[in-house]
Amino acid sequence: MTELERALVSLGHELEVPEAPDVVAAVRARLEPRRGRRTIRAPRSLAVAVALVLLAALLATLAIPDARSALLRALHLGGASIELVDELPEVPAEPDLELTLGQRVTLAEARRAAGFDVLRPEEQPDAVYLGDRGTVWLLYGTPERVRLLLAQTPFHSIDPELLLKKVAATGTQVEPVTVEGAEGAFLSGDPHFLVLLDAQGNPVEDSARLAGNVLLWSDGGIAYRLEGDFDRERALELAVSLR
Amino acid sequence: MEGRPPDDVALAQRARNGDERAFEELVRSHQRIAFRTAYLLTGSAADAEDAVQAGFVKAWAALPRFRAGSPFRPWLLRIVANEAHNRRRSEGRAEALRLRSGRGLPGDAAPSPEGAVVSFERREELLAAVGRLEERDREIVTCRYFLELSEDETATVLGIRRGTVKSRTARALARLREVVEE
Repeated sequence: MTELERALVSLGHELEVPEAPDVVAAVRARLEPRRGRRTIRAPRSLAVAVALVLLAALLATLAIPDARSALLRALHLGGASIELVDELPEVPAEPDLELTLGQRVTLAEARRAAGFDVLRPEEQPDAVYLGDRGTVWLLYGTPERVRLLLAQTPFHSIDPELLLKKVAATGTQVEPVTVEGAEGAFLSGDPHFLVLLDAQGNPVEDSARLAGNVLLWSDGGIAYRLEGDFDRERALELAVSLR
Repeated sequence: MEGRPPDDVALAQRARNGDERAFEELVRSHQRIAFRTAYLLTGSAADAEDAVQAGFVKAWAALPRFRAGSPFRPWLLRIVANEAHNRRRSEGRAEALRLRSGRGLPGDAAPSPEGAVVSFERREELLAAVGRLEERDREIVTCRYFLELSEDETATVLGIRRGTVKSRTARALARLREVVEE
């Protein structure tokens, strides 16, 4: 520690900070009982085996012959493997979307902090957040009523210990697409969302779960995820309009 | 300040399973650091108290997503810091932090063992310089030195990468050094 750093620590001790109020009772009064758990309980090997069987079944239903390889590559984001399962774990609705997204920043701040070229559609986002794993989120609309959400995550910041898991119901259509030559997939239909699992198969973080459709693709070391109430053509239009 | 009693892991696990008593224990043992964090970020006791309460309530709701076995404190402080951040933004002000004691601090001139303690005026100058830093640099200084969080904890609390913590710390220190060493 340098002298300046020691001076700052000592300055911290000298700061006038009011006595911390006791908030235990106030917090207790505001807690809502939590019902049920949604942790995936199966041992990982079993969960993976089950997922693989389901994945095989799902892929078998895809009519396009090369869909399988395209899909597997397309969803292979930053070294994280992706599994498709047909049973959705129960996920409570996020009471506060902003909490999931991260810290509210300006677009300029996000660009400076990101360390990669943050792209955006022509329209200015209504809010920008810096989240886990260096993800930059552009939000259109309000957290309560999202019109469009764009996530950009650099591969190098995705923890290789974590599995990125695409959870899709059987009613979800998964269509391989290309976005300016980059492989991707368009997911629509039944609810679907992404969860990150730790090595034990426990969810560590789930993404915002919105009702919209999702376009996933990756390009230049960045995983993109565009979510909104749009059809495939509109999603692709938006994707290629990013600058 | 490692402040992570081994109980935290067990308590967080129980709280994650819906045990409100366990969560109350966590509130009790972390409310001081939570308040200090929120106060240093907002400069307002009322905003800080609001942020702490709201932060704990949100943490309870978010516990199912808490990664079992990971440190509870930075995870909690991140939620509290977000709340503090939102309040400061909505109020559109950040009151200046002040040094305890004002004038005539007894022992003000007493040298520290390392000789690192500078005069009251110099410390006020340093504090003012911290106040003039860009917001994100000031947040780094607040976390690393005023809250004495580790780089990893700071990264979690501010929701940025560890490398970014390092680079912003270096930048903030360089700016402060200009003031201190002039």
